[in-house]
Amino acid sequence: MSDYTASDFLPLSRQEHKQSLSRPSLSYWQDAWIRLKSNRRALASLYIILGLLFFTLAGPLIWRADPASQDLDQVGRPPGADRSAILVADYAPFNSGPNNATSLHLLEPATTQAVRLQWQALEGANGHRVYRNIFPVGVEKAYGIPLAEFLTNDVDSFEDRLDMKAVTYYYSLVALGPHGELLDGAETIEVDVQRVTTLFEAIDRGLISADSDLAIGDEISLTWHPLGTDYLGRDMLARLMAGARVSLFIGIGAPLLFVLFGVFFGSVAGFIGGKTDQFMMRFADFVVALPFLLFMILFKITFGIGPGESGVFPMLVALVLLMWPATARLVRGQILQIREQGYIHAAQLLGAKTPYLILRHMIPNTLGVVLVTITFAIPSAIFTEAFLSFIGMGVAPPTPSWGSMSNEGIKSMLMTPHELILPALFISITVLAFNLLGDGLRDSLDARMRNQD
Amino acid sequence: MSAAVADTKNASTLLEVENLAVEFDTYGGTVQAVRGVNFTVQAGKTLAIVGESGCGKSVTVQSMMGLIPMPPGRITAGSARLRGQEILGRTLVDGREIRGSQIGMIFQDPMTSLNPTMTIGKQIAEPLQVHRGYSAKKAFARAIELLEMSKIPEAAKRASQYPFEFSGGMLQRAMIAMAISCKPSILIADEPTTALDVTIQAQILDLLQDLQKETGMAIVLITHDLGVVARMADEVAVMYAGKIVEHGSVDDVFYRSAHPYTLGLKLAMPNNDPSRQHTLQPIEGSPPDLFSPPLGCGYCARCPYAMQLCCSKHPQEFVMSGAHYSRCWLHHAAALSKPEELYFSATQGDQ
Amino acid sequence: MWSYLLKRLLQGILTVWFIATATFFAMHNVPGDPLSDERVMTAAIRANLEAKYGLDQPLMTQYLIYLRNISRGDFGISFTQENREVNDIIREHFPVSATLGILAVLFATVGGVLWGALTALYRNRLPDVLIMFLVILGISVPSFVVAALSQLSLVNLNDFFGRTILPVAGWGTVSHMLVPAMVLGLGTMAYLTRLMRSSMLEIVSSDYVRTAKSKGLPPERIFTRHQLRNAILPVVTVLGPSIAAITTGGFVVELVFAIPGLGRYFVEAVQQLDYTVIMGTTVFYGAFLVFMVILVDVLYVFIDPRVELN
Repeated sequence: MSDYTASDFLPLSRQEHKQSLSRPSLSYWQDAWIRLKSNRRALASLYIILGLLFFTLAGPLIWRADPASQDLDQVGRPPGADRSAILVADYAPFNSGPNNATSLHLLEPATTQAVRLQWQALEGANGHRVYRNIFPVGVEKAYGIPLAEFLTNDVDSFEDRLDMKAVTYYYSLVALGPHGELLDGAETIEVDVQRVTTLFEAIDRGLISADSDLAIGDEISLTWHPLGTDYLGRDMLARLMAGARVSLFIGIGAPLLFVLFGVFFGSVAGFIGGKTDQFMMRFADFVVALPFLLFMILFKITFGIGPGESGVFPMLVALVLLMWPATARLVRGQILQIREQGYIHAAQLLGAKTPYLILRHMIPNTLGVVLVTITFAIPSAIFTEAFLSFIGMGVAPPTPSWGSMSNEGIKSMLMTPHELILPALFISITVLAFNLLGDGLRDSLDARMRNQD
Repeated sequence: MSAAVADTKNASTLLEVENLAVEFDTYGGTVQAVRGVNFTVQAGKTLAIVGESGCGKSVTVQSMMGLIPMPPGRITAGSARLRGQEILGRTLVDGREIRGSQIGMIFQDPMTSLNPTMTIGKQIAEPLQVHRGYSAKKAFARAIELLEMSKIPEAAKRASQYPFEFSGGMLQRAMIAMAISCKPSILIADEPTTALDVTIQAQILDLLQDLQKETGMAIVLITHDLGVVARMADEVAVMYAGKIVEHGSVDDVFYRSAHPYTLGLKLAMPNNDPSRQHTLQPIEGSPPDLFSPPLGCGYCARCPYAMQLCCSKHPQEFVMSGAHYSRCWLHHAAALSKPEELYFSATQGDQ
Repeated sequence: MWSYLLKRLLQGILTVWFIATATFFAMHNVPGDPLSDERVMTAAIRANLEAKYGLDQPLMTQYLIYLRNISRGDFGISFTQENREVNDIIREHFPVSATLGILAVLFATVGGVLWGALTALYRNRLPDVLIMFLVILGISVPSFVVAALSQLSLVNLNDFFGRTILPVAGWGTVSHMLVPAMVLGLGTMAYLTRLMRSSMLEIVSSDYVRTAKSKGLPPERIFTRHQLRNAILPVVTVLGPSIAAITTGGFVVELVFAIPGLGRYFVEAVQQLDYTVIMGTTVFYGAFLVFMVILVDVLYVFIDPRVELN
C-alpha cells in the first residue's frame, strides 16, 4: 500500500501523546448553581420570588396608600375603572314638593349622593314597596332588594342613599294590598347613576386644592387605585402588599423555624443514637399522627385572638409545633446514613474530631436536603395560612392576608370578581414559584433525589 | 475460501452481526457508543465480548434485543441476522417471537433485574405463557422444574417466594432459569457474575456451562473479566471505544495477542502462574470521549507504541490467521517497529 | 400480622386519647370558659349541661366524666342548638361528608394513577406537557379558589343553556355531588399525578422492566404487571395523608357549595364557639383520620410483599 509515507509510522512523541482532558473542577455549590441556572423554570421562579419580596418589602415605600383607610366614593371598584366624578353641592335634605308625576320618575338627575324618586299611586294600591335591582326585572319579576315600604298612598316619593354605586339601577315600584301583600301592579324605571362628590369632600380628601377655582358641575378625578378597591373601599394594591407581609411572614418564617428545629432535633437524635434516638423518634411519630389542620384550629381557639391582635404569631407557633417532625426524620436519616459513609471513617482515621466532622461533613451534606425541604415547606405553609384564614380561623380582620382577602372576596365574587381573583392569583403565583424552585433545587442539589422531569 | 467451506461455516452460524452502529442523543451531544461492529455466533459455542466499562459491549447486545431506549438511542447502521432473519430494529410488538423465545438474556445485577412484587415462579412462567401458550398452572409447574435445573434447592417452595427473599446468587440462578425457559438457541449473558461474590461467580459459570452442554445453546458472554473469558469462551472479541479491536479464538487472543490493548488488559490482570509473576500494570489514561470519537485508533492516546498515523487514520482489520484479526497499524507492512510482546502473523503485510 | 395490627390499633387509641385530652384542656383554656356562667345560654341547655358534666366538680373529675362519655361514644349536647346531641349531628351530617369524601378520593386516586401513567408514557410529548401544566395549576391554586371559580362557571353554564345543567350548590342528587367531589379531589389528584409520573418514569427505565422486555412480553402485559403494579406503591403510601387532606379540604368545599356535611358544621361550630360540637367533632375527626391512616398502612402490607411485619 502506497497511501502511507514512512513518516506516518514514526513513533509519536511523548508531548503529542499526552491527552488534554482537564475540565475545571467545581465545588458542590458551584456545580449546583450552574445546574440551577440551566433550569429555566427554576430560574424564572427565583426571579418571581425576588420580585414578590421586593413587592412586599419595598412596595409600601413606593405605593404609600394606607391599606386600612376607606375610599367611600369608590367601593368595590375593579382595576382600571372610570374614576371621574362631577362636583356637586353639599347634600340638602329631601323635600319632594308638589307631585305632578304621571308615573314613577326621577325628581332630579340620579347621582351617587342620592336618587330621588316620585310617583303617582298605582291603581288599586293601598301602599307601595320600592325595590332596587342591578339587573332588568324580567318576566320572573325579580325586583331586587326592597328599599322601603309604605302602607299608605300618602307617601309618593322616596330618596335612595343606600350604598350607591355609579352603575345602572332598576327601580321598581310595586303596589301593595291592604295587608301589605304584593299585588300585580308594578312600575320599573332604569336609572343611570352619575358618580359625584362634593367640593368639601374633594378638598378634604386632597383631590383638589382648597384654592382651586373648580365649580359645581366640573369634572374631577377621584383617587387612583391601580388594582381597584375592595368591598369597603380600601385600596387593593396596598392591601395586597400588607397581605403579602402577613402571608409571606408566615409562609417563609414558619418553615425556616420548624426546619431549624427539625434539623436540631433530628441531628441530635441521629448523633446520640440508641435509646434517646428511639424515644425522640417515637415522639416525632406521635406528633406526625396528629391531624394537622384540626390541631391548627384547636390552637387558634385555645389561644384566641384578643382585641387589636392580628393572630399572626399564634399561627406561626402552631405551624412550627406541628410541622417539624418531617424534617427531623429526614435529617436523622441523613445523619445516620452519612455516619456510615466511608469518608467519615476515613476522616476519623486521620484524626478528625467530632466538631470538625459535623462542620465539614455532616452540615454540608445535609444542607442540600434541608434547603429543598424549606423550599417545599413554604408553599404548604402559605396554603395552610390561606386555608385557615379562608374558614375564618386565620389572621383576624382588619389585618389583611391573602387568605382572608380571598375569603372576603368570595362573597362578592359575582359582582366584583377582582376582590377574589387578585389575592388568589398572588397565592397561586407564590406557591407555583416556590414549587418550581423546589423542583429545580432538588434536581441540582441532589442527584439521588432527582425526579426525572 | 471455497464456497463449500463457506457453506459449512454458515450452517453452524446462528447469529451474524454486521457493521452495527448505535448512537445516543444526550444533553452534551451525540454519543457514538457502538461504531461498526462485526461478529458471528456459532451454534453451541460461547462468544465472549470483553472490554472496559463504557466500551459499548452492553449496548451492542442490547440493541440486538431492542432493549435500548429509542429515543435517545438510535441504530444508525448495520444488521443482525438470526439464522438469516433480520432482528434489528424490531419494535416491542413484532420482536416478541425472538426475544425471550429464541434469544434469552440475563443481566448484571440480579437484585434489581427482577420484579420485586411478583413471585419468582410467576416471573419464570411468564415467557412460557406468552411464547408457548402454556396455562398459568402448567407454566408454574414448568418454572419449578427450571428452578431445579438451575440447581435451586427446594424449588417448589422457592417458586412462590419474592425476589427480596433470595440471595444474589440464587436470584441469578432464577434469572438463568427464566432466560432458558423457552429453550432459546442463544443466551446473552451481560456481565452475569459482576455483582456476585467470587465463589458464587464460579457456581454461576459452572451452571451456565452445564446448561450449555444440556441444551446446546450458544452463549454470548459480556464481561470485563479476562478470567471469566479464559474459563468460558470459545471465541473472544475485544472491544474498545465502540469497536472490536481484536477478535479470535480464546487461544489466539490470550497466547497470540495482536493488539496493544489486549496486551494492556493482560498485563493488568493478576496471574497465578508463579513462573510468570509480574507487577500489575494499569493502562494509563482513560478511554476517549465518544461525543467526538477520535479520527484514528481509539486507543492511540493510551498506546505505548502509538505512531504518527495512529491518531489520524483508523486501522482496518489485519488478519492474523483464520478468524483472528487485529485493528492495529503495527501490523501494516510499512510499520517500522514490531514490539516483541505483540504477536505478528508470518503472512501479514502482504496486502 | 395480628400482633402488628394490635400494636397499630393501640397506637391509634393512644393518639385519639391524646387528641381528646388536648381538645378538652384546650377548650377549658379558652378565654371565657365554655362551661362557666359567663355564657348566655338557654335554661334548658344549661340544665342539661350541668347534669351531664358535673359542672360543680373539680376539673379532673370533669375530665374523667368527659373521657367516660367519649369512650361510650357520647359526645354531649350542642351549646347553640337546643337539645341537639352532638352524636345526632355527626350521625346526620357525616354520611354526607363521607359520600363526598369517598367520591373525591376515588376521583383523586383513579385520576392521579391514570394521568400519572399517561404522562410518563408520553413523556415530553403533547399529552404530558398539557397534563403537567394542569397539574402544576392544580397544585398551585388553593381549593377554595377552585371551588369558587367552578361555582362561577356553573352559574355561567346554566345561564348559557337557560336551564340547570348542574346545580350550583346544595346536596341530594348525584349531579349535586359531581362538581364538589371533583373540586375536593383536584389538589390531591394533581399531587398523586406528579408522584405517579415520577414513580412511573423511574420504573420505565428500571432493570426489571428491561428484563420483562427481554422476555418478549407484550407491551400491555409489561405495563400492567410490571410497571403499573410497582409504580402504584408510592401512591398507596401517601393515601393516608391524602385522605386526611381531602377530609379537611371538605370543610371549605362544603362551605362554598352549601353542602350540609359535618365539615361545614364543624367550621360553623368553631366560628360560633359551640364548644361541645367542636370537642365532639374534633375527637371524631381525629379518630377517623388516625384509623384511616392505620387502615392504609395495613393495606400496604398486602400490596407490597417486601414490607415486613413487626
